[in-house]
Amino acid sequence: MRRRDLLAGLGSAGVIAGGGAVAAFGVPSPAAVTEQEDDGDDSSGIVGKQHDPYEIETVDAPGSEAGTVRVPTPDRPTFVDFFATWCSPCIKQMDALATAHERVSDEVVFLSVTTESISDAELRDWWVEHDGNWTIGLDPTAELTSRYWGTPYPSAVSIDASGTVRWSDSGVKTADELVAGIERALEASEPANGAE
Amino acid sequence: MDRRTYLGTVGMTGLASVAGCLGDTLGGGTSDTVLEPPEQQRGDPLYPIHGDDFPEFSVRDPLADEMLSLEDVIDERPFVITYFYASCPDGMCQQLLQHLRRIQADALESGYEDDLALLAFTFDPDRDTADALRTHGERMGIDVDAGHWHFLRPEDNETAKTMLKETFGLPLRRNDGESTATSDNESTDADSAYTFTHSALVQLVNERGIVERAYPKAATQRDAVNTQVMVDDTRTVVGVDE
Repeated sequence: MRRRDLLAGLGSAGVIAGGGAVAAFGVPSPAAVTEQEDDGDDSSGIVGKQHDPYEIETVDAPGSEAGTVRVPTPDRPTFVDFFATWCSPCIKQMDALATAHERVSDEVVFLSVTTESISDAELRDWWVEHDGNWTIGLDPTAELTSRYWGTPYPSAVSIDASGTVRWSDSGVKTADELVAGIERALEASEPANGAE
Repeated sequence: MDRRTYLGTVGMTGLASVAGCLGDTLGGGTSDTVLEPPEQQRGDPLYPIHGDDFPEFSVRDPLADEMLSLEDVIDERPFVITYFYASCPDGMCQQLLQHLRRIQADALESGYEDDLALLAFTFDPDRDTADALRTHGERMGIDVDAGHWHFLRPEDNETAKTMLKETFGLPLRRNDGESTATSDNESTDADSAYTFTHSALVQLVNERGIVERAYPKAATQRDAVNTQVMVDDTRTVVGVDE
């Protein structure tokens, strides 16, 4: 149970893992076994992947202007936090995001993206209430979120200037963890490393 | 193992090229499926996996207010199904619905929404009333009024648990009160004091009622199981031309 508790942030609390698989493998705790593959290094699966830039709309809100942004933004490191207003861990995540944003906003395109189909006004209210102060992007068809494994919420990815995912993590992260993840994209984007 | 290794190298490219051959034995899978057997063997779970018949069922769609059986659903179209409850405190069930939500969006975008059904079975009908399901689905970004979308709602929780276990082959444990609250669980209200320990399964079933793919532990995205894989597999089984 303790292990499951730890995984709560990943949205995995209370997984049985499918009783049949349990029996077939004949191991006492298959949940632990299979989950290990998923959270051992929680996200290596998406790291290294590359997708073409995808344009999404942005919302008029504090720190955010109505318009569009391409994700990843060509030739810029890009950080994306995937969230939903109904997701309570996402609220918890906002402080660390704000701190991380302060620390790296000069160096990276920094945005939070939601797939929700709520009004801009509702979104703006939520944003104000939780002290958001950076770009909000909309992904109404969940295409972007799907490409970057943006669920369960909150999940985050950092992408280097060449468009390669360098880091990703699910669950609530500290500001230091976010910044460390973003730095992987920054390091990979330096000309010495990033020239292709 | 040899077969699996071989199939692994053929991979999805081979499948994509035959995507139009729905129900045709030329389609890459075994004679009953379009998709190849999964690369990773997961033992022999109680729930149906690749090549197995999906079980017969008859459950009420509370929004359409009509009974829905396996035959009604497949009627010449594949479907994707998951099992959830709306009060899920940890985001896991929401994640399952997000997979279906993305498949729905892709279907609407590419115009195959009438060639596919999307099913979400609640094992908590006591709380997941028709209204609650509508509200929850809409909040998840799902168009619950699309003709292909069906919540499945047994009449009560006891029936749901029995059906989940005996029909669909999935274990379920109800947890009352304190023990399941996790540090991240902020959403346990007085009237929703129980939670469930349950599987996070999504299944893709073809128009003949045979499982094409089971995606276990689908609340966590990884190479073998993620939203895009499900969308791609669904497109292949539906026979969407690129």
